[in-house]
Amino acid sequence: MKKILPPEELARDSRFVRLSMEDRFSDRRSPGGGGSTSGRTGPTKLTPDAPQAPDRARALMHGIFVGEIQALEGAGRTCWDFEVGPHFDEVPFALKLDMARQCWDEARHCEISIKLSEWMGTELGEFAESTFLYEAACNPDPVLRLTGVNRALEGLAIDVFNTMREFGQSAGDPVLEFCEDWMLADEVTHVKMGSDWLRRITEKDPDRRERALEFQRVVDKLFSLGGFRGEDDDSPIRLARKFREMAGFTHEEVDEISDLSKQARAEGEARLAQANAS
Amino acid sequence: MAKVVVTPETFAFVSFDANHIVELTGKIADKVGLPADTEIRIEIDETTPLGRTKLLSLDPITLAVEGGSFEDAKRPRQLSDTSVIDVVGRLLFRAKDRLDAGFAAAPDDDALTLQQHTAWDTYAVGRCDRAGWAPQKKRRLYHFRNRHGFTDVADAAFDRLWNADGLTWADLEAACAETEAARVPAG
Repeated sequence: MKKILPPEELARDSRFVRLSMEDRFSDRRSPGGGGSTSGRTGPTKLTPDAPQAPDRARALMHGIFVGEIQALEGAGRTCWDFEVGPHFDEVPFALKLDMARQCWDEARHCEISIKLSEWMGTELGEFAESTFLYEAACNPDPVLRLTGVNRALEGLAIDVFNTMREFGQSAGDPVLEFCEDWMLADEVTHVKMGSDWLRRITEKDPDRRERALEFQRVVDKLFSLGGFRGEDDDSPIRLARKFREMAGFTHEEVDEISDLSKQARAEGEARLAQANAS
Repeated sequence: MAKVVVTPETFAFVSFDANHIVELTGKIADKVGLPADTEIRIEIDETTPLGRTKLLSLDPITLAVEGGSFEDAKRPRQLSDTSVIDVVGRLLFRAKDRLDAGFAAAPDDDALTLQQHTAWDTYAVGRCDRAGWAPQKKRRLYHFRNRHGFTDVADAAFDRLWNADGLTWADLEAACAETEAARVPAG
């Protein structure tokens, strides 16, 4: 079996259609691409009383569902792609055990997400799939892979699950609330695994640790998307500070993500202001 | 068949075909039961991927739609017949209702509450279903529950509105009052 399976070879049935990052970012209708802003001045919080809230929630949860499939594929590949050993391209056996446990969790999350999709009236494959999570899981350095996936993207999953759990709570949707709560508990463990392995493997290699953290910053900035995630009252996805600290992030590390989010928001608002002015 | 005008006639940001939208809308208007001489205008804002839609006026019937509402969720920028039918069918049924004396007391769209909007949409999309357009019933049920509560009373009201014909504004208001009375405060 092939090592480091490229994203384009992931198996999907005919219900799923893939959207590349190039396609997504080359859409001329995005702010700064010449499209209109429809009067928007920045991100809007996802609350049940927003007019498009049910459909926004459905699209977001479908994105999480395909993310769960890719997280399963990524953790599975990490078990397979690296041999056990002390060298740069090898991993401790216990790390493989953690990834095997994560596979089990992600498979369960896929099942939960399928049932949740049915509850929300979403068809599997209804929305295009981006493979960014799996792409981060193709990094040839296992430490960068775990930092990018388990700390940055699973960290984002903590923020999303916590926000959607609160959304379910205020909408009075018990199914959404409980599904998010159960998945959130697992994500905290997955992020903790990333934090622990980053510290253990790079204990005597500060350069490698810094490269891994830099990779995480790049991923975190990319997915703070113009203020999509942050600590402001109107942030669509709230940074879940308490859960991140439970998952091994230091207070300073959460501050850093918060700052990245503020920066991404300021850049996004500047693009919108420019688009509104032109 | 109704006289349909789509603006713009050509698209630069998306791959939409105005003639195809005209053709689809004409067929939808016939099934909705609008008179053959009805004038329908569809104003598309192709510069945004958002999906807001609105019935702007009744004479002529004017629909304002953001481009995202007509596109294929799997293939951005591509026109989806299903999406066009979903939006236009729902709004034309609402327009037909507004032209009926039974809806004379209905407030303007901007003054409708989210509950009233969703109840009316349910009534309209239920008729789209019987017209053979196979809309996403579970999606509509989820919208309805979000607005009217996750209760058995709300589910029963949804079924009633979905399967109904010949309702009046008073019937929609009554359904809203019924679900409101059964709502359990969230949290």
